[in-house]
Amino acid sequence: MFLSKSAGVLTVVTLALGAVAAQDTAPGFRAFISDVTLPGIDNGVRDADAPRPPRPYPTDLTSRSSGVPYLRGSIIVKFRPGTGPVAQQAMLARAGASKMDAPSYADFNIVTIDDNADPEVTAAAFAQQPDVEYAQARYRMHPMFVPNDPLYSQQWNYPAIDMEHAWDLNPGATSSIVVAVIDSGVAYRNAVLRRSVPAWRASNGVTVFSFPALGVIDIPFAAAPDLAGVDRFVAPRDFIWNDTDPLDLDGHGTHVAGTIGQLTNNNMGVAGMAFNVRIMPVKVVDSLWDDVLGSPFEGTDDVVARGVRYAVDNGAKVLNMSIGRSGPPAPLLQDALIYATTHGAFVSVAAGNDFEQGNPTQWPAAYANSIQGVVAVGSIGRDRQRAYYSSTGSYVELMAPGGNQRAGGTTGGILQQTFDFNFVETYVNGPARYGPPRFDIFAYQFFQGTSMAAPHVSGFAALLMQQGITSPAAVEAAMEQFSTDLGPAGRDDQYGYGLINPRASLRGMGLAK
Amino acid sequence: MTRASIVAALLLLLPASSRAQNQFSIRGFGDAGLTVFTATQSFKAILGKPSGPVFGGGVEAGLPKHLFLSLAASRFRRTGHRVFVFEGQVFNLNVADTITITPLELTGGYRFHSWGQIVPYAGAGVGWLKYEETSAHSTAADDAKTTHTGYHLLGGAEIPLQKWLAAAVDAQWSSVPNGLGDASTSVASVYHEHDLGGFTLRAKIILGR
Repeated sequence: MFLSKSAGVLTVVTLALGAVAAQDTAPGFRAFISDVTLPGIDNGVRDADAPRPPRPYPTDLTSRSSGVPYLRGSIIVKFRPGTGPVAQQAMLARAGASKMDAPSYADFNIVTIDDNADPEVTAAAFAQQPDVEYAQARYRMHPMFVPNDPLYSQQWNYPAIDMEHAWDLNPGATSSIVVAVIDSGVAYRNAVLRRSVPAWRASNGVTVFSFPALGVIDIPFAAAPDLAGVDRFVAPRDFIWNDTDPLDLDGHGTHVAGTIGQLTNNNMGVAGMAFNVRIMPVKVVDSLWDDVLGSPFEGTDDVVARGVRYAVDNGAKVLNMSIGRSGPPAPLLQDALIYATTHGAFVSVAAGNDFEQGNPTQWPAAYANSIQGVVAVGSIGRDRQRAYYSSTGSYVELMAPGGNQRAGGTTGGILQQTFDFNFVETYVNGPARYGPPRFDIFAYQFFQGTSMAAPHVSGFAALLMQQGITSPAAVEAAMEQFSTDLGPAGRDDQYGYGLINPRASLRGMGLAK
Repeated sequence: MTRASIVAALLLLLPASSRAQNQFSIRGFGDAGLTVFTATQSFKAILGKPSGPVFGGGVEAGLPKHLFLSLAASRFRRTGHRVFVFEGQVFNLNVADTITITPLELTGGYRFHSWGQIVPYAGAGVGWLKYEETSAHSTAADDAKTTHTGYHLLGGAEIPLQKWLAAAVDAQWSSVPNGLGDASTSVASVYHEHDLGGFTLRAKIILGR
């Protein structure tokens, strides 16, 4: 199903965006009327549901996915150190730019340009200036997963990397390690959001569906029952809504967070790699519901870069980025990744899922092999072969289980708890059955993608840091040195250095063996 | 010139003993000492320091012409931690790692003229060294249990304490080529230190005449 939004909704969203994009210090737009709700409902493994269609993303908004993978009306510019305000203003004037803002957690500026100007052309013109270090369009990031059918199974992914023995050496790290989930948010707390939901339209390419306005509704949120615990979450931040409530309206970030740190040995559901760590939810990509509800920001490169810097500045030692995009490079993301590693944080990045779409270079994954402490993670299936979608290239460094449902069926995906999508994707079955979403009902779902592989490496990094390897570069080296070589002997573009081997890395070296 | 030929030359240059020690005798001894391993960096990485105590004992046969032959066993055992080494930095992984080294050494030597009551001696020989390494939560495949052959030189001095009791101090240099191997999980391979020998200073208590 291919959904898009109406021009009417477009106007509302564009006005909201314009009001806030100018200064990120403006408050968020959401009103949470209560923190006290019933606990999240666990609907168990969804093993009897019919396969769901792929999740739609809106594509017809001028400022939101208007068929191009970037925002209109603004670009990202970084001036060289020492460039004075006069010189900057002169460049803005020459480019027809109207104003410039310096967002928090950033070493770059957001320059406002004409909505009709081509951001890529304008950015290219800026980049030619001698005082400009880089300039680029505000490309949108998206989660790196392939939507799947929710069925049950066991978690084959942990035996595949011998985690049972690895946990003997390090049982899930401790709360002293903070892992930031740079994603669509996390179902990390209970809340009720009172919000007016406008009408919007969507198309599947054949039929245009009109979804009615729902009026003012109360949308319930709950912490994922198998993820939340006492003091589990730290320093939450939402760069899509510009507030401190990075609630997941998608399900991707919650699933990813589960693989990193799902509570384990709690007589509930499934396990996580580093089940004692604290999770820092940092929301940097938007979902369809964020868009429909009128979030002021989208998941562009600059938003993601700020999320990275925020996580590092607030104590995260490991950053998981199960997000990315193809297209031109993003030097501001490169700077943000360097910032992370030079401040003691390890970063795991999904290598990308576009192998069968021409295998384009993926960003920020492609920066991984040039930055020690940043790892681009590809995906294997249960058969230990590269998953059909897993992008390849010189930047792929390690492989982890991400699932391959083409080869392994539904249960060949990675099982974690996230939303019961019957209550989230209420638009999937058309306007007649459309209704308010609920983000307090959960189920165990199989996802596949390098999004699912990267959090294995993030959890693994948390274990290594807990074990004593405190340098991000050394964490990467320990992972690569002890990985299990797959594919052609030695490092290769399909499998990188091979499949992670947490137990071997956690054991490290003895005197003779 | 090889180390072995140096030893042979030294032995040939030794002065003949004037002391009447031409009869066959058997003595036993116990010893305690300190070994500084040749693989300094590797031992330091795992155990925190490149040295440690050794304890042992053996028998010594006095032969005609001031010669002697001894068979000694000793044991070094110490627990440290497994590590990861990256760009010269050692990261302690907090996984207990226990090293046990048990050499069995056959030494032939010569006892020199006494100097007052002190009897200097020197010798050389071969050794068979059993190396064991085990760590927390390891499997049999993870553990190391190997045997190596090495050689050694020693020199020392003995002083009689009573009729059947003597004390001695000696210093021994040993080499066990490739005793630490070059496994990918070996810190010794990182430092290119493969010799399991070292320098040992020990004190002995000897029983017998």
